[in-house]
Amino acid sequence: MKVRADLHNHSCLSPCGDLSMSPRFLAETARSRGIEMIALSDHNSARNLPAMKEVCAGLNLALIYGIEVTSLEEAHILCLFETLDEAMDMGKLIYLNLPDIKNDPKRFDQVWVDADENIDGNVGKWLGSGVNLSLDSLFIEVKQRNGLFIPAHIDRAMMSIPSQLGFLPPMDYDALESTRLPVPASAGPLPEGVPLIQNSDAHYPQNIAQRSTVYEMEAPGFQGLKTALKNRAIYP
Amino acid sequence: MTIKDLETKLGFTCLQCEYEEGAIEGAYTSDLLSDVMANAPSNSVLITIQAHKNTVAVSTLADVKVILLCNKRIPEDDMLEAGRKEGVAIFQTEKNQFEASCLIGSILNEK
Repeated sequence: MKVRADLHNHSCLSPCGDLSMSPRFLAETARSRGIEMIALSDHNSARNLPAMKEVCAGLNLALIYGIEVTSLEEAHILCLFETLDEAMDMGKLIYLNLPDIKNDPKRFDQVWVDADENIDGNVGKWLGSGVNLSLDSLFIEVKQRNGLFIPAHIDRAMMSIPSQLGFLPPMDYDALESTRLPVPASAGPLPEGVPLIQNSDAHYPQNIAQRSTVYEMEAPGFQGLKTALKNRAIYP
Repeated sequence: MTIKDLETKLGFTCLQCEYEEGAIEGAYTSDLLSDVMANAPSNSVLITIQAHKNTVAVSTLADVKVILLCNKRIPEDDMLEAGRKEGVAIFQTEKNQFEASCLIGSILNEK
């Protein structure tokens, strides 16, 4: 079956995410705009995933548990997991490896909420920092938790592996995300056989579902996604 | 050195000029924003090629007053808007970071 998925989204937890982007608002809006499978991928934190799980269960919206990690090199990587436990465990590791820079809540909201949009807490460290884990270390940690490792927005002139390193080092990427297809030359030569995907990277309501990718899967879910990426079962 | 000296004495182009004029006490040259956060002195000019709004966010947290974009890097529109909102001045030069650092170093302690 065809499944339309958007695997890169931010909620009110991300410092740059709008406060209106509760998991409920994000999930309901994405569903209404035709998204059938979604990943919530806040910067360096998994704290809104429990609420997202509860909301998606009631909406017939398949959920992938994600974190957009900023590596030591300051490249953004989408780390996607099958279970909430794996994602939360990754979140704990990331938080331990975030520099001890206190967030100023007057400047950046970093709130996690329940399924009914009540604020449960505020993350203390600033989530916009690079984490003390290199790309190689990050890859190992993601794979130890059976996750998918997908460099984010490789066509962007900032916070992408090509912008930070000047090239894409040979690694076993599960996919590469680009905001534009075909990928512009600025990303450099692309490794052969790695699927290219598009996602919204939504930080604000108007960007929800602005980009997505249609995959061929037996059923919407993490295993379906993993197989579709491996087989490059992606509709153009 | 004052912020305006970047324009009047060194000839750098002002791209975001809604700032409070004042003395600059230090300078820092780096492109890794985590490094800037940890090490940039307060009340300083940041010499960088990171021409995006995250640089402004980090500048406000690290008390950097001016961002100098080298290699004639063009800022994204939302960077200038962020700079305007936060009162962080943004300048541009065609010089590279080494050349720009040397020039700033030569006038940093001038009154």
